[in-house]
Amino acid sequence: MKSKKQWLTAPGLLVLLVFAVAPLFIMLYYSFLSDSGAGFTLDNYKVFFQKSFYLSLTWSTIKNSIYVTLISLIIAYPLAYIMAKKLKGIKNIILILIIIPFFTNQLVRVYSWLIFLQDGGIFDAFLNSVSIIEGSLSLLYTRKAVIIGLVHAFFPYMVITIYLALEKVDNALLEASSSLGATKLETFRRITLPLSRPGILSGILLVFVPCLGTFVEPRILGGVNGTVIGTVIEDQFFEIYGWNFGASIAFILLAMVLISMNVLNYLGREK
Amino acid sequence: MKKSGIISKAFVIFALIYLYTPIVVLMVMSFNSSRYNQMPFDFSFKWYQDLFQNNVLIQAAINSIWIAAVTGVICVILATLLVLGSQALSGRLKNSVQTFMLMPLTIPWLIIGLSILLMIRALDFEKNLFFVLAGHTVISLPYSVLVLQARMQSMDPALEEASASLGANVMTTFRRITLPVLAPAMVAGGFLSFMISFDNFVLSYFLMPSGFSTLPIEIQSSIKFGFTPEINAVSTIIIGISLLCLAIVGLIMGSSIKSLFGKKEV
Repeated sequence: MKSKKQWLTAPGLLVLLVFAVAPLFIMLYYSFLSDSGAGFTLDNYKVFFQKSFYLSLTWSTIKNSIYVTLISLIIAYPLAYIMAKKLKGIKNIILILIIIPFFTNQLVRVYSWLIFLQDGGIFDAFLNSVSIIEGSLSLLYTRKAVIIGLVHAFFPYMVITIYLALEKVDNALLEASSSLGATKLETFRRITLPLSRPGILSGILLVFVPCLGTFVEPRILGGVNGTVIGTVIEDQFFEIYGWNFGASIAFILLAMVLISMNVLNYLGREK
Repeated sequence: MKKSGIISKAFVIFALIYLYTPIVVLMVMSFNSSRYNQMPFDFSFKWYQDLFQNNVLIQAAINSIWIAAVTGVICVILATLLVLGSQALSGRLKNSVQTFMLMPLTIPWLIIGLSILLMIRALDFEKNLFFVLAGHTVISLPYSVLVLQARMQSMDPALEEASASLGANVMTTFRRITLPVLAPAMVAGGFLSFMISFDNFVLSYFLMPSGFSTLPIEIQSSIKFGFTPEINAVSTIIIGISLLCLAIVGLIMGSSIKSLFGKKEV
């Protein structure tokens, strides 16, 4: 009886094999094709690694993700800490309020930033009215706008993973530490921070990794200044029709994603 | 102590303002009669009225809804089978199957979309709705799986054993014990997958046959090719639908919604 039950997984696994795994192999195959139809070649990859444009593109994509991850951490950690340790009754409501926006449509979210940040838009009008600046900040179509949009999209993940880790930290431990004479900072550094480490690492994973593959936010909020690997791949497929080269860049992106996941997993497993 | 309490509250409020301001501005602007989101604010339902006369947007909405509905149903069926079946596995095989079920979460949607596009080309097909549904299913399936797994793990295995030892056959045990326990999670998982598909832009963008669009695609082309003022109203309605789905999932799953995030541990 049990031996039959496991076959229930077959339809789902088949769908994943046919529509998620097989396409990746087809993409790998295309990435080795030459545009001239001369069979297999490493040229697509060579172009990527030899042209400085693509290397600096890779670096700026990684840099973008690092910025977004760091800023998310700076916002998310205190927020999660306050929710887990300081707020009492309302923390569940705040948790829900933080979850809601990232279940809103990606395009709607990006579009709302577009309206908000546009020259002479609400943000400029607000800053003008309180006399912080005059005229316009001209934020839209800069890297800053891309980072603002991406942090907005991803930092809730980090709040939740860190919150779940901090919630498990026993308050008695913190009290014991302070009654043994540790300062608040010491207690934080020696107890709270190490115990919330798994939450921080999952948070980094859930922000950094998806950030590498975005193209919608960089394209719409960054304009020409928002070029990242994702937008270049999109161009290869929709504007330039360099499908084989596009496939090879997509594979390099996938490799970056898998490497960063494994590194973060490895860091999480240590000790 | 008191001072740090005020700083804490201020920080929370600041974060919530950051999260909500653009969305709220968008929703408010959908009721502003100005075409280019200009002030002063002049309340009107004009864009909503226009929206209901805009056939392109209505068709896109219908497409979005039925694609998401079909995706949701397929995902629930596949996820239920996957979760039930993987219970019967053990050891490393079980681990690998469970990791594999969630694999699409780790691959950027851009890459999933492109690779399916390349598969369509390799097979020499035209883009068609079958592949759109397949793509949506691949990315939405893990969410149903997560919800169902969370529910399955909270179920006491003794229930099934008791039923079997009292003489119920496999089908009866499934129908009378397992299914009622899983049913709420099936509904919740279905709505979650519906929402992921309904909101998805990337997969639709790569796989949609020409002349066929969904709401996210309409928003994108409005951004790209020129402004359609009804988009604010459409966006507000989309947010409303997402919130409704989320509320349903939340009501059914209660506090175990948190376990969705706990699952994705490093």
